[in-house]
Amino acid sequence: MKQVLEGSHAVAEAVRLAKVQVISAYPITPQTHIVERLSDYCADGTIKARFLRVESEHSALAVMIGAASTGMRTFTATSSQGLALMHELLHWSSGARLPIVMAEVNRALAPGWNIWADQTDSLSQRDTGWIQLYCETGQEVLDTTLLAFRLAEAVNLPVMVVLDAFFLSHTYEPVDIPSQAQVDEFLPPIIPRIQLDPANPCALNQLSPPNIYMEMRYQIHLVMQAALSELEKFEGDFERIFGRRYGAVEPFLCQDAEIILVTSGTITSTSRQFVLDQRAQGEKIGVLKVKLFRPFPVEAVRGYLKNARKVGVIDRNFSFGAGGIFAQEVRAALYGLARRPPVFGFIAGLGGRDVTLESLGEILTRLKTLKRPDPESIWIGLQEVQLAGPKS
Amino acid sequence: MKAKNNSIRLPERLLISRSYTTSESNKTGSWRYLMPRYYEKTAPCSVACPAAEDIGRIQMLNTQGFFKEAWDTILVENPFPAVCGRICFHPCEKVCNRGRFDEAVSIRALERFVADTAQRYKLTSGIEPMAFTGKRIAVVGAGPAGLAAAHFLHLLGYDCHVFEALPEPGGILRWGLPRYRLPLAALQPEIERIRNSGVSIYCGQAVGRDFLHSAGETYGAVFMACGAQRMPLLRIPGEDLPGISEGLAFLCSVAQGGGPGFQGTAAVIGGGNTAVDVARCLRRLGARAMIIYRRRREDMPAFAEEIELALLEGVELLELYAPIRIEKEGNGLRLTLQQMKIGAMGADGRMRVVPDENRIRELTVDQVFKAIGFEAAEPWHVPEAGAVSHLKLRQAVLTQGANSVPVVYCGDPVTEIQSVVHAVASAKEGAMALHVLLTGGTAAVAETLAAAAVGPGGSLSMEAFLKGERLNRSSHVVAYEEINIDHFQYAPRMIQPRLLQAERVASFAEIDLKISAGMAIREAERCFNCGLCNQCDNCRLFCPDLAVRQEDSKRGRRIDYDYCKGCGICVVECPRNAMVLEEEQDS
Amino acid sequence: MVSGHVGCAGCGAAIAMRFFLQALGNQAIMVMPACCWSIIAGSYPMSSLRIPLIHTAFETGGAVASGVRAALDMKGDTQTTVVTWAGDGGTFDIGFQALSGAVERNEDFIYVCYDNEAYMNTGVQRSSSTPYGAWTTTTPGREWKRMRKKNIVEALVAHRIPYAATASIAYPQDLMAKVAKAKAIKGSRFLHIFASCPTGWRIPSELSVKIARMAVQTNIFPLYEVENGVKYTINLSPKGYLVREYFKLQGRFKHLSDQDLSEIQNMVNEDWNLLLRKAGLPQVQGEHM
Repeated sequence: MKQVLEGSHAVAEAVRLAKVQVISAYPITPQTHIVERLSDYCADGTIKARFLRVESEHSALAVMIGAASTGMRTFTATSSQGLALMHELLHWSSGARLPIVMAEVNRALAPGWNIWADQTDSLSQRDTGWIQLYCETGQEVLDTTLLAFRLAEAVNLPVMVVLDAFFLSHTYEPVDIPSQAQVDEFLPPIIPRIQLDPANPCALNQLSPPNIYMEMRYQIHLVMQAALSELEKFEGDFERIFGRRYGAVEPFLCQDAEIILVTSGTITSTSRQFVLDQRAQGEKIGVLKVKLFRPFPVEAVRGYLKNARKVGVIDRNFSFGAGGIFAQEVRAALYGLARRPPVFGFIAGLGGRDVTLESLGEILTRLKTLKRPDPESIWIGLQEVQLAGPKS
Repeated sequence: MKAKNNSIRLPERLLISRSYTTSESNKTGSWRYLMPRYYEKTAPCSVACPAAEDIGRIQMLNTQGFFKEAWDTILVENPFPAVCGRICFHPCEKVCNRGRFDEAVSIRALERFVADTAQRYKLTSGIEPMAFTGKRIAVVGAGPAGLAAAHFLHLLGYDCHVFEALPEPGGILRWGLPRYRLPLAALQPEIERIRNSGVSIYCGQAVGRDFLHSAGETYGAVFMACGAQRMPLLRIPGEDLPGISEGLAFLCSVAQGGGPGFQGTAAVIGGGNTAVDVARCLRRLGARAMIIYRRRREDMPAFAEEIELALLEGVELLELYAPIRIEKEGNGLRLTLQQMKIGAMGADGRMRVVPDENRIRELTVDQVFKAIGFEAAEPWHVPEAGAVSHLKLRQAVLTQGANSVPVVYCGDPVTEIQSVVHAVASAKEGAMALHVLLTGGTAAVAETLAAAAVGPGGSLSMEAFLKGERLNRSSHVVAYEEINIDHFQYAPRMIQPRLLQAERVASFAEIDLKISAGMAIREAERCFNCGLCNQCDNCRLFCPDLAVRQEDSKRGRRIDYDYCKGCGICVVECPRNAMVLEEEQDS
Repeated sequence: MVSGHVGCAGCGAAIAMRFFLQALGNQAIMVMPACCWSIIAGSYPMSSLRIPLIHTAFETGGAVASGVRAALDMKGDTQTTVVTWAGDGGTFDIGFQALSGAVERNEDFIYVCYDNEAYMNTGVQRSSSTPYGAWTTTTPGREWKRMRKKNIVEALVAHRIPYAATASIAYPQDLMAKVAKAKAIKGSRFLHIFASCPTGWRIPSELSVKIARMAVQTNIFPLYEVENGVKYTINLSPKGYLVREYFKLQGRFKHLSDQDLSEIQNMVNEDWNLLLRKAGLPQVQGEHM
């Protein structure tokens, strides 16, 4: 059944369909529409879950840890500062191998206060052991959320479903809401592998000395790698039931492309239009959307990019002292290849600034004129700022 | 497009930090450098008791309502709980650690309660004597020392024949103690118990001096327990006048139901228990009674409590007066008294008294009683100087002539203090010493007796001697500071119910009334049980390492040294110091 | 609880756990934020407890327990008691927010703070539970702590929770009775258990329980309970040791002067009178209170 929904509500619908048992969240713009809708659903009995309105994001994730360790399907949602506050427990939940699912609305980090789209919040959590899936549309948000539960519970790792602030969270689009029967077929009830149970007592998350910690960490690494094929498997199931498939990466007209733009999130949609426009003018250009950021789909990225003449990565994020984070990942992925295209890093749209067709035009111009990539990222659309006030 | 790298399979089992075993494989006992252990110690009361009664144990049994077991525990050390529970001067209570906390435990009253309970229910003692040695021993005198000697010798496996000159056994207990202190009904069962255990008592059979030489034909040894009945002379003019009697003879006639009503005034000369008893009996017969004592009240050898009761009954006390002559005056007697005063301290620690110049007081009375102590009636009642072997023990003397059997002297003539419990202690020591002499020779006596000693005071335990379960009565006497008083609540000492004061002098009825079992248990609960484990379970309860285990043994628990870290909490939290913390021994 | 745990010799926290579990039984799930017990409970693959136990991050005691409770609710499990077992740091300091949040929601669980009055697991650093006058490794020398101990029970009482109580390892019957009482109540229950630390307090291990008892007897740590934030009951009338007797046994207080001790005595008296007033009892005067 198609409905016109906000991205936030697409998340909420997926959570409803997934029959989540414990929800906990703390409000932060622009995540609030997700938890408000879920609150409504819990209040009117649409969702039979416990919803804990806690006093911080940190506690929200802590509640997830407690509930997931007791065998529950759990969900939380946050953004930006909230995610940063959760940081410690992001590590904790993956180390504890808990299949927690979180919707994370990409928002810029303060200061100054900025509530608009920016990926640095989630990308700076890349080493926390969470699987990260970036979404482009409302439909993808709903679908990815369902996939996230299946994947999390299969590999016993937490999954973050990431969507851009406002561009996705607050934008209404037609979304096909699957039936409960379809979802039940795709996502059966959780069979917990970790469970606090007085009948079978054990201690969880105990002191793990050097003689075993490394092996535990190595297993997380193996599971992360296995998640690539697991996701592929579940996408197969998903496609069979729902008729849609996304892939860890999604190429758009990359087959013969000499120049490939690498994007993620809603910039991808603009880029698709840009590519069509440029193709009409004879440019051999394509877009590779990266959906799965952790684990990073190295082989898929190599497969699509290896024959390109130039690769331009557009990052709505920045790692100070280094560069755009997707660009770093793409470069690292291609590094092992004997023949590899030069990778140009572009920074655009930080703090919610629009990335327009013009912005992309500037990027294409740069790509065409520059011979080899500068280690420095290229910042797109920077303006001169007239400084006033104190001299220091 | 398919990712190429799909070769990594999902591990089947989670490798997470999740326990699957217990911490019991950590043998934390290896951390230990101090080691606690159960080590029972000796209570001060038990040391102070000349009979070495295991008082802490007795009160523990009382607390649990095990009155028979408490009674047996007394009997092994003292055959006269009904007697001592009434008339003992209870040195135990003076040293009771509870006295430092609030008030001493009423040990004597509890002893009487236990004995009365045993009599009330006609209990028989469960103490098993040692196997019969085949030897027969003659005991001369059926007073407390003689009967106690027979009791102990019986326990040690001897057949005893007791010879008593008077028609009934009991000696001073029967003839010398007023019934209001020791009713015959309390004494009689004690004697019967000894008799029923297999001791033969022959009354009306006076024994002469030659018996000591002829006894060897029938007996393996002779026990001399003749007591001290002869009163020394006052050595003042007029002491032989008519109307002057000996106190003990008076008490004896009262005990036999004699002592007609007596309306006049009587003076009792002396400061011991006999003097007090005589005065109190006189009050009951209707007389005005005055005790004349040459020192102060606090110097009187009589028990303070008895003096107190005597004064309450109207007995008058003239302190610091020494009689210097007695003269006849009309139908009465005139006493001339020298006023005394305190002088220097004597070698015995008592204050000397000296005449206070020429201060004289005269007193006219109807009758005078002398009660100034006793000595052996016959010279052969005390050890002969010429014996070949002459072993002087603390409370008894053991001799052996050239051609005669060993002779043991015990009781009043050889003890420092003349009291029933000392007579018992003397008999016990004599019996033990004789047993060692007959089985191991003279040389072994000192060492064997030392092993049965309880504390440094010379009290001997028959239980220890018999190698009972508390064979090792520790030489460590528990001090008050070693009690963890945090575990005790203040509770007042029981108040001994007594006859109304007005009723006391009206008859010879016992003054101290019986107490209920509930009262006895409450009082026994006040006992610290110094040095003894009463299974309070604190050691197990407070152990941070669960290293004190319950087990099916007498103590009910043991320390598991695999896990004990030696923190010592069990030792400190033991309320009664029945544990010790020591340096770990290197193994 | 089993032997072989790695608590220090004389560990009061270990004793506290013994009594607590003895009264609670095994139908429970325990949440354990970082504290000494994180170590005492055993390293992989061993556990010194026989109940399910989840170790969690330092500040999450209230929240993780909320999650566990929510899960049990979803399962329809009404028999299992959820317990958070936290130290003073995890309760008074870093975990206070999550605790306050949880009890404000009146989450159905028992929160136990075993209080050894400093960060002992990390090596005796001061916490807001460290008493006035104490040495710690972060309040050394002349910089000994000159702030009063946070009154955590009163902070919890201010949330009007159904049950809040203090207890001590030196009073097992009282402690276990409170656990039993707490177990029977629904909603947020808070137990503040005084658990001495021989290592951090510089006391002989064998005095561990004795000193805990003295803390009660001096009124430094009164035993009381508060129902629904209003009904105060003082469980024990102390014999009335002077605080100096308690202080002189402990190395952490050895630098204090007579003047300091007098001031501390006054503070203790003041706090005791405050408690008496809340309990509706008459005030007392004098040094021995």
